[in-house]
Amino acid sequence: MKQRHKNVRLLFRFLSFLLLLTLTGCWSQREIEELGLVVGIALDLEKDKSLEEALERNENRYPDKALMTITNQLITSETTGAGKKEGKSQQKAYNNVSESGDAILPVLRNMVLRSDKHLFAQHLKVIVIGEDLARTVNLNQILDFFLRGQEVRPSSIILIAKNRASKTLESKEPAVIPALHLIQISKGQERTTKILPPISLGKLSGKLHSESSFLLQNVSTKNGEVKFEGASLIDGRAKKLRGFLNEKDLEGITWVTGKGKGGLVKSLDEKTGQLIIYEIESMKSKIRPHVVGNNISFEVNISSEGRIAENWVVSRKVSENEFLKRAEKVSKKEVERLVKNVLDKTQKEYQADVLGFGDRLRIEYPKVWENVKKDWDQTFSKIPIKYNVKLTITDYGTSVLNK
Amino acid sequence: MKMRRKKIKIRQLKMHSNQSEKAQRFMPPQDSMGHFTGEFMVDLERVRQEIGHNSDVHFREFHIGSKDIRAAIIFVDGLSDKELIDKHIMKSMMINFSEEYKQDPSILNQTVLKEFIKNQVLSISELSEVHDLYDLISKVLTGSTALLVTGVSEVLILGTTKGKSRNIEEPVSEALVRGPRVGFTETLSDNTALLRQHGDNRSLSIIQFQVGLRAKKKLVIAYMNEIAGPELVEEVKNRIKKINIDDLPESGYVEQLIEDNYLSPFPQVQNTERPDRVIGALMEGRVAILLDGTPFALIVPVTFSMLLQSPEDYYERWLPGSLIRLLRYLTVFISLFAPSLYIAFISFHPGMIPTKLALSIIGAREGVPFPALIEALLMEISIEILREAGLRLPKPIGPAMGIVGGLIIGEAAVQAGIISPVMVIIVSLTAISSFAIPQYSVGITLRILRFAAMFCAAMLGLYGIILFFLLLSSHLVKLKSFGVPFISPAAPYRVSDWKDFMIRMPLMMMKRRPKIMQTKDSIRKG
Amino acid sequence: MKGNERAMIVNLKDRITTSQAAVVLVNYILAAGILTLPRTSVEKVKTPDVWITVILGGLIAIMAGIIIVKLSQQYPKKTFYQYSQELLGKWVGGLLCLLIVGYFFTLSAFEVRTLSEVTGFFLLEDTPAWAIIMPFMWIGLYLIMGGINPMARLFSLIFPISVVVFLLVAFMSSGIFELDNLRPVLGLGIKPILAGLKTTGLMFLGPEIMLLLVAFMQQPDKAVKVILVGVSIPMIFYVITVVMVIGALSVDGVVTRTWPTISLIRSFEIPGLFFERFESFMLVIWIMQIFATFTITYYAAALGLAQLFKKNIHPFMYGLIPIIYIIAMTPKSINDLFKFGDMIGNAALLLFGVMPLLLLIVSKLKEGKHETET
Repeated sequence: MKQRHKNVRLLFRFLSFLLLLTLTGCWSQREIEELGLVVGIALDLEKDKSLEEALERNENRYPDKALMTITNQLITSETTGAGKKEGKSQQKAYNNVSESGDAILPVLRNMVLRSDKHLFAQHLKVIVIGEDLARTVNLNQILDFFLRGQEVRPSSIILIAKNRASKTLESKEPAVIPALHLIQISKGQERTTKILPPISLGKLSGKLHSESSFLLQNVSTKNGEVKFEGASLIDGRAKKLRGFLNEKDLEGITWVTGKGKGGLVKSLDEKTGQLIIYEIESMKSKIRPHVVGNNISFEVNISSEGRIAENWVVSRKVSENEFLKRAEKVSKKEVERLVKNVLDKTQKEYQADVLGFGDRLRIEYPKVWENVKKDWDQTFSKIPIKYNVKLTITDYGTSVLNK
Repeated sequence: MKMRRKKIKIRQLKMHSNQSEKAQRFMPPQDSMGHFTGEFMVDLERVRQEIGHNSDVHFREFHIGSKDIRAAIIFVDGLSDKELIDKHIMKSMMINFSEEYKQDPSILNQTVLKEFIKNQVLSISELSEVHDLYDLISKVLTGSTALLVTGVSEVLILGTTKGKSRNIEEPVSEALVRGPRVGFTETLSDNTALLRQHGDNRSLSIIQFQVGLRAKKKLVIAYMNEIAGPELVEEVKNRIKKINIDDLPESGYVEQLIEDNYLSPFPQVQNTERPDRVIGALMEGRVAILLDGTPFALIVPVTFSMLLQSPEDYYERWLPGSLIRLLRYLTVFISLFAPSLYIAFISFHPGMIPTKLALSIIGAREGVPFPALIEALLMEISIEILREAGLRLPKPIGPAMGIVGGLIIGEAAVQAGIISPVMVIIVSLTAISSFAIPQYSVGITLRILRFAAMFCAAMLGLYGIILFFLLLSSHLVKLKSFGVPFISPAAPYRVSDWKDFMIRMPLMMMKRRPKIMQTKDSIRKG
Repeated sequence: MKGNERAMIVNLKDRITTSQAAVVLVNYILAAGILTLPRTSVEKVKTPDVWITVILGGLIAIMAGIIIVKLSQQYPKKTFYQYSQELLGKWVGGLLCLLIVGYFFTLSAFEVRTLSEVTGFFLLEDTPAWAIIMPFMWIGLYLIMGGINPMARLFSLIFPISVVVFLLVAFMSSGIFELDNLRPVLGLGIKPILAGLKTTGLMFLGPEIMLLLVAFMQQPDKAVKVILVGVSIPMIFYVITVVMVIGALSVDGVVTRTWPTISLIRSFEIPGLFFERFESFMLVIWIMQIFATFTITYYAAALGLAQLFKKNIHPFMYGLIPIIYIIAMTPKSINDLFKFGDMIGNAALLLFGVMPLLLLIVSKLKEGKHETET
């Protein structure tokens, strides 16, 4: 009985406490329609530095360097709701807001002064960094805010924009939200070798912390259309943009790393000079380090299976073994060319290992790696690399003949 | 600890004496005044004084045979079977008796007279004697006929109860697609007969109690004496004996007086209108309690998982049975947490829902003037009002009510921009879910708790919901129904009982009775 | 009113089954650490071999646990608080008990504070800490008022939920898992592994509860089994966590994250599912696990005081609430909090790593003496 009454008492105490909470509570409450969802952020170097500086001097403000311009892509209840209800399809589905400053958070907070919405970055999908900014400022510094705060999810993707980043967050069609559009395109490795796997903020934090160089996806804008084009090479030491790789280089990279899931090899038939298109069904690559004494060398074995997807060679029976062999041979040569091209470029031109050779060495010869990892990019540029390519055509589609 | 236990004991003793005092208060005076004298006129006059003023109590005086032996019968109009009285009492006493008497006049001897009437005159199966006026009254008022005879100091009570009973119909509160179309009625004897009818089972024990201090009622507990654990049966008997209240109009009274924790929002006793469900429970080693005057039988003990079962789970094949059960657990979850999760995600953690969903919700909530909690409360309460109103209305108007409430108000509220369409979806889903739970009382419980969950969510978001869940489970793990942990077999684990828990395994595999019932005979099937 | 007689069938003695004891132990071990373990251990080990360290740490915990069990089995049906005075005399034993009580409520304060930090950071940004902590502690109090049995039942209720959700989330994260991040195995030899042993060993703080739990078990002779199962399951949890987190974020990435496990779950989204984000799930089970650890330590502390002073336990339960609250609010920053955790760990090492072994030897000696004397 006593026990029971105690329970009653406890229950009432708890209830009264709950009541107390309702009186004061709801500290963190924020209705969803009061938020401005930030789905994309573009970071650029301040356009006209001198003008800005002049303005500042005149007003004699707090010494604000106005290093960069931040463009937020906002989605608010006005942009989503209004269009639907009253049939105003011409209204843009997003709202870009720009502001300049020397650090990210202060700039974002300055936007509070201009917007009735509470900026909310948990739905941030993509961070685009402009070429100029990436070249001049350490990525670690730029991204520190995004890595530190809890609002930005580590799943958001980092892109480098050729020229202005803010341009990439604009679209011609008002109904399309550019940030979401970018995300969709960035996952295109299913069908082409000309794109890198996307790098999320979470993965980037590891890469930035290590000393090795790496690649980021690249976007460019032409005539108001965005396009993924090549890759940016980020220097492992300075954490700055070193240069760009073009689409051809990217194809080579995909072959060396073996991370492609699909794509094409376009080659010319030796006899007729006509096009043969080889479609990749599977792709494998094995990088083997060899260490003899102090000499490190690598061997890359690439193998792939695929089929003939398009054939311009006239009046040849595609099913003939002899022809298939020929096609395999020319495609193989093309792949070898791509690989050689990219190896030359990374070893000679950029002297940066972005292909994961260092990683293989670390895994198979951890002790050797400990010795060389300090100056790995230097060492890498002088290491001999052999490569073997093996292509097999397993299939030629539904048509046997080509007339 | 010891000290405490002692205290408790003392308290119990006190309680006991209290109780007997109380009981006495309701008892009629027990002096010699109650006994019959044997003087016919005196006794009859006393009966008249006590109940004679009631218009429905009939007194019929007559003479036995041709001689001057005066007699009287007393019965209540409507409760007693008049045909039976005419044919087997009046006729026997007035006509048959005289013939017998003519053959053997020595019958006049008074001591033999009673035996003679009992053994040779009355052709009635149920017959007893009372010595006391108040016993007589209570028997007469339940439909028996009292027979007073000159010179006999006992009164004969003749079982002529007719009772008003309705036909056996399909139970309204628990409809099934497949299963017997038989439900209990308001008559206890019919109900026990339904249980007996189930098959030749000598193990079925039906034990009668009398409850109610002022309005005495018959209450029956039924169990399988070869299966049910003796401790459980004892416990049930004890608790029923302790009921002291003047009247029990429905088995809900019994339920509330014998349950373990009267503060808990959860029902700890199962109620049903279906005899097949009761039989099924008895076969699991549980005990049923039937009260006269109500079609709702009680079953104890009960666990939370049992409250979510329907007899159809067993009548259907195991696969549909199992899937439907899983669905019910889902409905429990939805009806408890759906609105609160919505509030938590919309008002506190918009970052945790998918981006596209967030975008469409933002669009939908554009212009809604209330925060999510108020919006949810508004809708939930109007749904509750609708439900209650639909319940009370005459049947033909019910559906119209649904249309007016559900469609028109919902649609209009959305059109007017007071409520967001997403909220309407959530609320109606929740309401439908709570109706999908087979036990009506559980549905009500979940609806009440849902409001608590909504407040918790509105205060602390997802964290509040987790706290609510922890509080709820802390309560549930403490709760017991007649010694059986309420949430077993989930906790504590009874792996052997999991065959009949979230899913129902094929009958071929359910070879044993539930372990938690601690049955005498655990094997169900060889 | 009639409750006490109604409870007749109920086994009045508070006893728990072997499986319940194991569940209690599992829920006790799994706690705050699971969110930080990948970082703290990688900081020490610096190679991807952390998972081996975790397994070794678990084995050490099992060994320590077995010693504790053996000690407790010497005194059947008695908790440590009861037999320590018998073993060491009134004053020394009493002092030791007080130390352990102090350890328990400090640990429970630590758990509560960690809870408020993580909840305040990820779920409720502007909510004051007291509003997070107070209802949590009240619910804990409500639970432990019922004694060990309802606690064990609650834990067996949340245990399967935790397992299912955890495995689900771990499985979901396999999309960003890269095996290369976990290789090479033993690339730099065994040395770095040993460097992290203390950190991972302390993740398995928990077998000390067997000092009390053995007394509550229906079959105390199976306590060793409880230790084996009760430590192995968290070990599996930890190994999966470490492997998944390092596999996704790489060794270099893990050390940069304060709460790497949450970072892992926030690093992927699975569109198309109703929930494309899973950190809420992880936080739900994590809060439940914290609740389990909190209630056990809270109960253990209250039980200790009650048995030490031979008084009713309920006043102590009420009395401990403000103490725990004040201790929980003491650390000023998150670094203080982590330091506070290390301190508790060091104390535990001393109290439950070294002490039980000594006591076991003492009790064996005493026993031997008794036998020779008689």
